[in-house]
Amino acid sequence: MADSPKSSDWLLELGDARGKEDWTGKGIAHAVSGFRLGAEEAAVIGIFGMLLLLVASVPNAESQSVSGSNLFLFVAAVLPVVFVLRLLAAREDRQKTTDLFLMLGMLLLIWEVILGKLDLLDPFLFPSPERVFDVFRVDYRIMLVGMISSFSILLSGYLLGLVVAIPLALFIGWRKRAFDTAYPIAKAVSPIPPTVYLPYAIVLLPTFSSASVFVLFIGAFWPIFVGTVNGVFNIDQRILNSARTLGLKEHVMLSRIVLPAALPSVFSGATIALIMSFVTLTVAEMIAATSGLGWYIEYQHQYANYDKVIAGMILMAACVVIVMWFFDRIQKHALRWQNAGRL
Amino acid sequence: MARLGLKDITVSYGTNGKRTTALHNINLNIEDGDFVSLIGPSGCGKSTLLDLVAGLRTPSSGQVLIDGHEICGPGPDRGMVFQDYSLFPWMSALENVRFAVEHSWARTDKDESLEIANRYLDVVGLSSFRHKYPNTLSGGMRQRLAIARMFAMNPEIFLMDEPFGALDSLNRVFMQDILVRLWSKDAKRKTVLFVTHDVDEAILLSDKVVVMTPTPGKIKEVVKVPFSRPRKRQSLFVSQDYIILRSKLLARFSEEMQKDLEKQEKELITWSI
Repeated sequence: MADSPKSSDWLLELGDARGKEDWTGKGIAHAVSGFRLGAEEAAVIGIFGMLLLLVASVPNAESQSVSGSNLFLFVAAVLPVVFVLRLLAAREDRQKTTDLFLMLGMLLLIWEVILGKLDLLDPFLFPSPERVFDVFRVDYRIMLVGMISSFSILLSGYLLGLVVAIPLALFIGWRKRAFDTAYPIAKAVSPIPPTVYLPYAIVLLPTFSSASVFVLFIGAFWPIFVGTVNGVFNIDQRILNSARTLGLKEHVMLSRIVLPAALPSVFSGATIALIMSFVTLTVAEMIAATSGLGWYIEYQHQYANYDKVIAGMILMAACVVIVMWFFDRIQKHALRWQNAGRL
Repeated sequence: MARLGLKDITVSYGTNGKRTTALHNINLNIEDGDFVSLIGPSGCGKSTLLDLVAGLRTPSSGQVLIDGHEICGPGPDRGMVFQDYSLFPWMSALENVRFAVEHSWARTDKDESLEIANRYLDVVGLSSFRHKYPNTLSGGMRQRLAIARMFAMNPEIFLMDEPFGALDSLNRVFMQDILVRLWSKDAKRKTVLFVTHDVDEAILLSDKVVVMTPTPGKIKEVVKVPFSRPRKRQSLFVSQDYIILRSKLLARFSEEMQKDLEKQEKELITWSI
């Protein structure tokens, strides 16, 4: 397989002026421009500098202070470093990164000034960032165990949903008769919040985790199912015709043509399912668990430890961000053909 | 016996209350190795006819025969190129060709199909784009790829549904040359059924031109193209015979268009009243 074009050189020369243009294009301009710190980026650094200065040198109001090492100081110091590293790593997303960190920095600064330094609100309900971040130091072990428990339930339920819903939906979307029967049922049943099945799941299944996995599975199943069926049903007829002219066997047709053609819709269903899964998980844990992120928040809530409640919320948000990041990566890779864009 | 035979074909659709006839009483025989173009205004059922031969559609009555046997459904003995959408956007250029080669003839030898795919990509000058996805290629490149796919599949009959219809004129000329070059290269030429609405394209490429008329779709005339191959554009386009044939076909074509337009106009008037 020679890479060098032989008799075909003339083809490249003659035809497709458009094709050639595609090669040069943008991209290069971005790469060439050097790294300079703009006004907005400087503002972000300035805000974090102010925050650091405040946290390090000005003592908190008595009711809002913590004893021992200050984890928030560490966070306030690490965030600007992360910011600069991100700017260097992903220059295309510069504006996005800057805006994001600007928001984050302002939020932390306002939080620190109003609650930590000025103590303007009831310290019982509104803890300072120092107190909230101190929870991570104190409770990291119980949080870690909770994360493991939450993630194992989340992943098992969600993956089970994927594995069951996608093949079933492919088949049903492909067969008109099955579709006509199943789709109205799916439409009626899918909006029912999955947590209503929880009492039955707890009674019928041996352990709490298996019951939670089941409920998560139900919650994940419907959006994926509906997304996939829709995807199959909306495949461009012309692409299907092109595939038909190849005389494919049915299983090849389903796996190599129908599934990839429906994949964008499968992913939009799977995204909804993932978000649903987080909500379902938290609610399920709040009701019956003895460990996990949702349980932690609910438990601390009952004891009115609001600093711990907020810490739990931050941890949960961080987990969501991390999971969604991985999900996005997978989606971008699987659909790389779709928005491949011109070079 | 003709390679490809259409016998008393009628296609109609719609419910009993309002039935539309797309094709009416079509009879056509195409010999082995013939390059036949179907021309006619839109709505004359030329694409429908191609779909019938491809097996994507079944006639309401009549038969599609290949070597005397009635076809049932699509098969690897017939390859098709569409105006666009022939390719699968989730497969790279190479994968598109290899997939077709592998599955159309149920080939098991992966190396062999890879070798065939690479060879045909090279032939159409796309070997350096083999790992690109169709969305990143220009329209002309995509059609080159679709043609490479068809030749690599090596079917007995080529079905082409306005394959160059979406291309600009420069690219179209270029694609016509590639097609004829590849088609003439084979010792045993393939039978081609080529749908177009471009009279020049039809004359340049075909041995026979089938002129169709709309509502309902019928074959009006089958015109033989007498020019010897290889045909050179420069000399062909200025020759007396070419100009006569061209104006004859155009006259048929425009006659029908005129009738169709008048009919549409009348309908419009009755509608507005």
